[in-house]
Amino acid sequence: MLQKMMLTGAATMLLASGAFAQDKTLTISVYSFSQDAFKELVYGPFEKICGCKIVVETGNSVERLAKIEANKANPVIDMAVLSTHDALGAARKGLLQPIDASALSNYDKLYDIAKDPLGDMLGVGYTFYATSIVYRTDKVTVDSWADLLSPELAGNVALPDVTTNQGPPSLYMIGKAMGDTSTDLTAPINAVGEKADDIVTYYVRSSQLAQLMQQEEIWAAPVGRFAWGRFKDNGLPMAWATPKEGQTGGMNVMVMTANNGNEELAHQFMDFWLSTEIQTALAEALVDSPANSEVTVSDEVAANLTYGAETVGQLDLLSPDVILDKRDSWLEQWNTKVVK
Amino acid sequence: MFENRAVGLALTLPAAIFAAALFLVPVGILLSEAFKVDGGWSISAYIDFFSSGRNRTVFLRTLKLGALVAGVSAIVGYAAAFVIVSLPPTSRGRIFGLVTLPLMISPVARTYAWLVILGRTGFVNQILVNLGITDTPFRILFSETAVFIGLLQLFMPLMIISLVSAMENMPKDAVPAARILGANWFQVFWRVILPLTREGLVIGGTLVFTGSMTAYITPAILGGSKVLMLETLLYQRVTVANDFVSASVIAMILIVMSFSANLLLKRIATARKNR
Repeated sequence: MLQKMMLTGAATMLLASGAFAQDKTLTISVYSFSQDAFKELVYGPFEKICGCKIVVETGNSVERLAKIEANKANPVIDMAVLSTHDALGAARKGLLQPIDASALSNYDKLYDIAKDPLGDMLGVGYTFYATSIVYRTDKVTVDSWADLLSPELAGNVALPDVTTNQGPPSLYMIGKAMGDTSTDLTAPINAVGEKADDIVTYYVRSSQLAQLMQQEEIWAAPVGRFAWGRFKDNGLPMAWATPKEGQTGGMNVMVMTANNGNEELAHQFMDFWLSTEIQTALAEALVDSPANSEVTVSDEVAANLTYGAETVGQLDLLSPDVILDKRDSWLEQWNTKVVK
Repeated sequence: MFENRAVGLALTLPAAIFAAALFLVPVGILLSEAFKVDGGWSISAYIDFFSSGRNRTVFLRTLKLGALVAGVSAIVGYAAAFVIVSLPPTSRGRIFGLVTLPLMISPVARTYAWLVILGRTGFVNQILVNLGITDTPFRILFSETAVFIGLLQLFMPLMIISLVSAMENMPKDAVPAARILGANWFQVFWRVILPLTREGLVIGGTLVFTGSMTAYITPAILGGSKVLMLETLLYQRVTVANDFVSASVIAMILIVMSFSANLLLKRIATARKNR
């Protein structure tokens, strides 16, 4: 009898929590690209499991950060995905709270560099990308970052603008090829400035770069691996360089806004997104390279991603605090030496 | 009288409130940002802005391209308008339709078309190479020339329309009369056509100049970050640097430049009238 009562009670509680869940919403702030795929592979399936509603806000990182900051006292966004340096910027402004690793069942499966890239558990990496040089194999061979400023490519090369995520890492690698690994980037910025007339343009979006390549305006440019799909099938002989200085890149992280009051659901969603199943689905759709080390994909899929412990371990990344602290100085140097 | 006035005021009130609340006040707030420094009022944001060599270059480039586009539009516009008004009504309608056709196509589509036409494998370079004028294709994109061509095509119709309507209002026999009295074509233009169409020129000139200065898509696509203009710089300050102070400074400069251009053109027009 007692057992029956307890069972009924438990069932009622389950039902009640289910009904309650229907009213729950989780507001997330994400990059605007591939949202159709995310809706199908991540948001939709999660909504079915949690019985909640996901509200998606998109935009560029400046807009999204501005919104999180404006609503600091009464957060609208529960979780966000950002680049490591934008996330660190938000953390320094007190907009974030630590993520509870014990609430993430998939946490231990992550590559080590994704586990706590910002320190104090303020962010967890969910995807990486390598940055290297795409080039026309019928026109040039690129095996060093220094080749970007070579006479062969003069007038046929585009560089990422210093304000983009690809800009500073690419400049750092150009500096490394010149034998200067200072993160002041003074040497590479000066070198680019001297060759400014040989550079077709400084692109701000990879879609823009894909068009320039297609129109044969350029033969080579540094680009993030996530954009490789736009180049590989463009009908021209294209290759992804493996420069002797190595490849650079970036990482995106999930963050939890401070005092959002929705921590439990946000943790649940993060855990879902980091799970082997979802990370595999995103990898197979060529949306995001996995940060979960248990993800296995076919060679064909892997060839289009930044995949595998070895690849990930070899990326020469600029640390987020360096980017955050030096960004203004880089822009200043760039404006005086390069765009003038 | 008073009743009419009161009725008139009452009728304009909704529109006035609408414009004030939704346009004047926000613009005022935005622009006042550029005068606020550490809680006080100051013009130091402007001094900072112009102390940067890059910003001065961008300012002068915007001014130069605006003036150049307006000037070339005026020259081509007068020739085109002169031909259009001398046509019989049916062909005039057709030609006028052709002139205004580009205005009905989105500036984004038109600018992308230029990206293809001016490219290294584009139409212009193919002709140049095939004619043997050059062996290696010219680099036209991402230069001031590309931005100039794009802006000229974008805004010249406005000049032609203004000049055509001004010329249509000109007395039909003014030009033949001047010719009979012995004026050469230059004198006819300078002493007869120009004074009689100056209002059209002022309107067209203001539209083309302010349009070129405040265009965003064309300089962004055809010039990129190598050929920054004030409008593309403004966008960069807001979206990249989150620097609303510089952006407000630029917005203020653009407004001042637009009004100055209009006043200057009016002044030139009336100076000629009084002579």
